[in-house]
Amino acid sequence: MNIYVCVKQTVDLQQVRIRKETREPVLDGVPLTIGNIDKNALEEGVRLRDKLGGKVIGVSAGSEELNDTIKEALAMGADEAIMIIAPELEGAESSTVAMALAKAIEKTGEIGIILLGEGSSDNYSGQVGPRIAEILDLPQITYVSSLEAEGNTVKAVRNLEDCFETVEAEMPVVVSVVSEINEPRIPAVTQILKAGRKPKQIYSPAELGVEIAGSQIKTISNLAPEQDRKRLLFQEGVGQDVKSLVAALESEGLLGR
Amino acid sequence: MDKFDVIIVGAGLAGLSAAYVLAKEGIEVVIIERGDYPGAKNVTGGRLYVNPVRQYLPDIWDDAPLERHVTNEMVTMMSPDNSVSMRFRSDKFDQKPYHSYTVLRATFDRWLAAQAEKAGAMLVTKNRVDDVIKEQGKVIGVVTAGEELGADVVVACDGVLSFVAEKAGMIVPGQPRNFAVGLKEVIELPRTTLEDRFGLTGDEGVAQMFMGSLTQGRFGGGFLYTNKASVSLGMVVGIRDLIERKPGVEVHLLLDEFKERPEIVPLIKGGEPVEYSAHVIPEGGLAGLTPLFGDGILVAGDAAGFSLNMGITVRGMEFAIASGVMAARAIIEARAKNDFSASTLSCYQQFLENSFVMKDFRTFQHTPHVLDNSRFYGYYPQFAGKLLEDLYTVDSGPKAKISDTIRKNLSLGESLRMGKDLLGGLKI
Repeated sequence: MNIYVCVKQTVDLQQVRIRKETREPVLDGVPLTIGNIDKNALEEGVRLRDKLGGKVIGVSAGSEELNDTIKEALAMGADEAIMIIAPELEGAESSTVAMALAKAIEKTGEIGIILLGEGSSDNYSGQVGPRIAEILDLPQITYVSSLEAEGNTVKAVRNLEDCFETVEAEMPVVVSVVSEINEPRIPAVTQILKAGRKPKQIYSPAELGVEIAGSQIKTISNLAPEQDRKRLLFQEGVGQDVKSLVAALESEGLLGR
Repeated sequence: MDKFDVIIVGAGLAGLSAAYVLAKEGIEVVIIERGDYPGAKNVTGGRLYVNPVRQYLPDIWDDAPLERHVTNEMVTMMSPDNSVSMRFRSDKFDQKPYHSYTVLRATFDRWLAAQAEKAGAMLVTKNRVDDVIKEQGKVIGVVTAGEELGADVVVACDGVLSFVAEKAGMIVPGQPRNFAVGLKEVIELPRTTLEDRFGLTGDEGVAQMFMGSLTQGRFGGGFLYTNKASVSLGMVVGIRDLIERKPGVEVHLLLDEFKERPEIVPLIKGGEPVEYSAHVIPEGGLAGLTPLFGDGILVAGDAAGFSLNMGITVRGMEFAIASGVMAARAIIEARAKNDFSASTLSCYQQFLENSFVMKDFRTFQHTPHVLDNSRFYGYYPQFAGKLLEDLYTVDSGPKAKISDTIRKNLSLGESLRMGKDLLGGLKI
């Protein structure tokens, strides 16, 4: 049985800075990594494999750099990787990515569980999981905060914010997880070194019969929130300044709440 | 314990150069780097001289992501209320192959690491080496994140104050006088603004050195390098002077004051600081070098002390690249003999002796002593500034003869001391 874990290559958010003048994120040259919640999905996949046996297969679509980025998934415990590589797949919209991932998964063998993060680190559309389920005609369980598998059945707790829902489904099944499901491991050095030698299968969209249509979604604006600073400077001496500061904070409704 | 041919600690220029050469030879090499990516923690003032190292890494320079080639050399002597600058520009420096480039390490090191990986080197980032493993006095591996990794040779390229060389028992903690601290800001400016401000055409660049009041009499100076669309601005101050000189000062405040000088303000106006870094710099010269080899271990780059104050330039990156390459060559030789003992690895020292590295270190061995003279950082810049101020001042009364103005500024005692410093200066 194969456990597929879909991961997305995104810029490392910790390394992104905002250009003050324009409030635009500076994305040029920022190191790439796999999405944060994707790591939870991977961790869950590895945990299930250790219990149920089978293989964990990392699946991802993106640019050439994916060859490097995917090593993170392999170092975390994936046994092999499937990549769909084309320049136009980088940042492609959810419908295209879901189609590419689904077709690649379909092509490669027996599906047990397809795991994803609830949303990607960058766009967070949360669409790819449900779309894959639809394309492959599989049951789906979203926002999973706890997952157990027994035989051919999975039992999942969905975190719906105001309540928890426990559901069961037969495999094959698509499951998207939330970040509290587990604590992703930090890969050991020897695992990182071995990652480079694990099997990798690369497809082009054409090989999977996936057409990359023109984008239907237009990004109108991508700006950091405006930080409107008060720029108050108190320089009358400490005694007076403390009083002025407190008064200023009170007038903003920030004290004595 | 997993075993590899070579483990390199630190993905700086020494480590990456060594890894690149070893990987090209088909040798199994692992680089362990604690930063998020190679270059994330690496600091330089900002310029690389390519000529000395072109032959050591022959195939990389055409594609290397360097910033601007330096055609303009500037020196500025600063006093508290004036400054004297010299600007030298040469057509020769604008001819290919360019001899010197400004460089941003976050970009360059990442690229060099990618080249080493393409050649077959294995890179592990975000991991710190915590210890070396020794067996009967011989280094046989390292410990990282609780895991033991074995190797025929460990190359310590972990920078100044090398933890690996220290754990291997090769060095004792250093003396303050052999080290300086460098601080740097990278300030982003639109390309055209930068080129207009500095009078630059195309990819030409300027390198400017500052000495005098900015370090308040302490050993050191300031620097400014133009990158493609940013300026690297910073200063270097001797650690012993920072400890001993009274009144004490916090070194980052020196940089802040330097940035507020009218000589600097218009150059960086409107720029956005995008990087702030600080680093210890080895400045001990020949006397500050650590032992370079031991059983199963080599030391290269800043870890070995390969950074040299040559009076008007402080150079480290060329020595790092060359020493990394020569460490690799020594390992290749040791592999041929299948003997990784100190006596075989000692050919590393020999390679260095025969290269510009040790030759430069011997040529400039007196520089640290000669430069350890507070008059260079106080008296001379002030003398030059005061003299020019007097020469250029036209008062209401009659103007003094030029020779009288010079005499007024330079007493007999000062001339003698100046003569003595000059004689000392001849040593460098």
